[in-house]
Amino acid sequence: MSVEPFNRLVKLAARAFYDDITTKGDNQPKTGRSDNRGIAVVVLDALTRRQWVREEDLAKDLKLHSKQLRRTLRFFEEEKLITRDHRKETAKGAKIYSAAVAATAEGQRNAKEGEEKIKLHTHSYCCLDYAQIYDVVRYRLHRLRKKLKDELENKNTVQEYICPNCGRRYNALDALRLVSPDDEYFHCENCNGELVAESDKLAAQEGGDGDDNARRRRREKLKDMLQKMEVQLKPLMDQLNRVKDLAVPEFGSLQAWEARASVAGRAVNGDSSSNDPSKSSQGLGYGRTPMTFIGETKVKFVLLIYDSASTSDCTVEVAFSGIEGKEEDVKSQTGSSGLKVLPPWMIKQGMNLTKEQRGEVKQESKMDGISAAEFSHEKKSTSDDVDNKSLQDEYVKAYYAALLKKQQELEEAAKNQELLQVSNSNAVPESVSNRQVGMKSKREEDEGEDDVEWEEAPTGGNSGESYKVNDLNVEAEASGEEEDDIDWEEG
Amino acid sequence: MFFHIVLERNMQLHPRYFGRNLRENLVSKLMKDVEGTCSGRHGFVVAITGIENIGKGLIRDGTGFVTFPVKYQCVVFRPFKGEILEAVVTMVNKMGFFAEAGPVQIFVSNHLIPDDMEFQSGDMPNYTTSDGSVKIQKDCEVRLKIIGTRVDATEIFCIGTIKDDFLGVINDPATA
Repeated sequence: MSVEPFNRLVKLAARAFYDDITTKGDNQPKTGRSDNRGIAVVVLDALTRRQWVREEDLAKDLKLHSKQLRRTLRFFEEEKLITRDHRKETAKGAKIYSAAVAATAEGQRNAKEGEEKIKLHTHSYCCLDYAQIYDVVRYRLHRLRKKLKDELENKNTVQEYICPNCGRRYNALDALRLVSPDDEYFHCENCNGELVAESDKLAAQEGGDGDDNARRRRREKLKDMLQKMEVQLKPLMDQLNRVKDLAVPEFGSLQAWEARASVAGRAVNGDSSSNDPSKSSQGLGYGRTPMTFIGETKVKFVLLIYDSASTSDCTVEVAFSGIEGKEEDVKSQTGSSGLKVLPPWMIKQGMNLTKEQRGEVKQESKMDGISAAEFSHEKKSTSDDVDNKSLQDEYVKAYYAALLKKQQELEEAAKNQELLQVSNSNAVPESVSNRQVGMKSKREEDEGEDDVEWEEAPTGGNSGESYKVNDLNVEAEASGEEEDDIDWEEG
Repeated sequence: MFFHIVLERNMQLHPRYFGRNLRENLVSKLMKDVEGTCSGRHGFVVAITGIENIGKGLIRDGTGFVTFPVKYQCVVFRPFKGEILEAVVTMVNKMGFFAEAGPVQIFVSNHLIPDDMEFQSGDMPNYTTSDGSVKIQKDCEVRLKIIGTRVDATEIFCIGTIKDDFLGVINDPATA
C-alpha cells in the first residue's frame, strides 16, 4: 500500500484544478493580502504528508487562520477530495488521537499534546480520501474532454440551413415545414430552392461569411483548447494510469485509524526506543511541528555562525554529520512506523522545510545581529535540557551555518576579485582570510542593509554548495532540491 | 417526460345534452376535445384519468349553451431537452430522418447521425453503416436524445441526436 503515487496524483490535481481557487469571505482589507489563491494547493500538499489530522493542528502547522483553513477544507469536502469527521471530545479523546499521531509520525508531539488542556469541544479532523480523489479526478477529466469534443463535433448544436437563392436561413426545428413530398431535400418556403446545410462551406460563404468565420475561429479555438488540455494535463493522466492498478491507501474512519495507529505505534515505539532512544525522541519534528523547531533554530544558529567563522574545517564536518543524521532520522522513521511506511518523498519534504527554515534563519540573523547572539549564548548555557534534546538539531543548524558561510565566502570572493584584482592563484586563500576578518564588520553592515542581498540567499547558497564542496551528501541534497523544483513546475 | 396533473377547462354544452346523462355527456365531450391536443405549456394531453370536480353551469346569454368549469386529472407528455426517447422512424431523407415518439415529431439531421452511417437512396432510403450491420430506415425503432425543442402554442417539435453512447437503432422490424 504505497501512498506516494497517490500523493503525486493529489499534488498534480491540486495544481491543475485548484490552483486559482480563492475562498471568499476574507475580511482583510488589503486586496494584496486577501488574495489567497494557492492556499488550496498548500493545504492539499500538507494533507498528503498526513493521515488523519486535527484541523486546528493543521492550521497551526500551515500558519493559517483556522477559519480560513476550514473554509478551504469545506470546499474540498464538497469537491469530495477529503473526508472530515467532527466529534465532541474531552482531553481523553484528544489523547487517543495524539497517541495515534505519535505512533505514525513523531514522538515530540506526544508530550506536547498530552500537556494541552482540552475541554469538551467539537474537534474536526480531516483526511484525504484517495479512492474518491482518483474517481473525482478521472470524472473531471472525462467531463472536460467530453464537453470540448461535443462542442467541437457540433454534437449538440442545432443544424442550420440556408437557401442559396434568397439567403433565408432555417434551422433544424423548422424541418417539418421544409420537407417536400417530391424529393429528399429541404425546400425554401419562399422560393422553393433547395436548402443547404450551413456547415457546407460553399453555401456558407455565399450566405453570411462573417458568421461562418466566427464559427470557424471558434472551432479552431476549441481544437486548440482540447490540444492544450491534452498536453498540459498529460502528467496528471499519466499519473492516473500509473495509479490505476495500485491498491488505494485507505485510512478508514477516524476511529478505526486511531485504533490501528495506536496499536501499531505501541509496538513500534517499544522497538525504536530500545534501539536508539535519542533518535526516536528528537529531530523528527520536521513534518509536523516546524514552528517550534524554527524557534530553536533561530536562537542557536546565530551562535553557530561565529563558531563556524573561526574554525571552518570543523564546521564543514559538522555539517556533513548533520546531513547524515537527518537521513538517518528519515530512515529510522521509515523503519519504525509499521503502519505508515514513509516513502522517499518524505525526504524531499524534509528538505523543503529545511529550505524554508534556511530562509527564516537568515532573516533572523539579519535582524538580530550580535546582541541576539550573545543573548542566545546565555540562553544556551541555562537551558541544558533543550541542548541535550536537540543535539542533532544542532548539527543541522551547523550545516546551515556552513551553507551561509560558504555563500558569504562566495560573495566575498566575488568582491575581492572586483576590488583587489588579485591573481587567481592567490584569490582563494586570500578571500578566506578576508572573510574571517571581515565577518564581523559585514555582519554589522548587514544590520543596516535592506533585504535585497539576503533575498538572493537561496541561489547563493546553492551555488556555494556546488562551488566548494564535492561531498556526495551535499550534492544529493542539491539534486533533491532540483527535483523538487521540477515537481512544482510540473503542477 | 410524462406528468400526471390537474387541469381546468370551461366546457360549453349544448342544451340538448341536458338530462340524466349530463355528467357523462360532459366527460365524453371533454375527452373528445382535450385528448391528443397539445399545449405549449403542458405538452400533449395523453389521457384523462379522472374528473376532479365540475362547477356550477352558467347559461350563456342568447345561445342557451351552458358553460361548466371542469377540473380534471390527466396524463401529459412533454419532451425536454436532454431527454432520451425511443421513437419510430417515419421518414428518411438525405437531410436526416424524422421519427415519432407518440405524438411528438423528432427530426434527426444527418450531422447528428454517427459519421460512419451513410445515406443510401433508393426505394427504401436509409442510413447504413459501412459494414451494413446497422440500418436506419422507415419503421425501425431508434433511441435518441433530444437536443432542442420548439414549443409553439399548439405544437411541439424536437430535434434529436443519435450521435452519443447507447443511442441508435434498438429494434428493426424489417430484419426481425
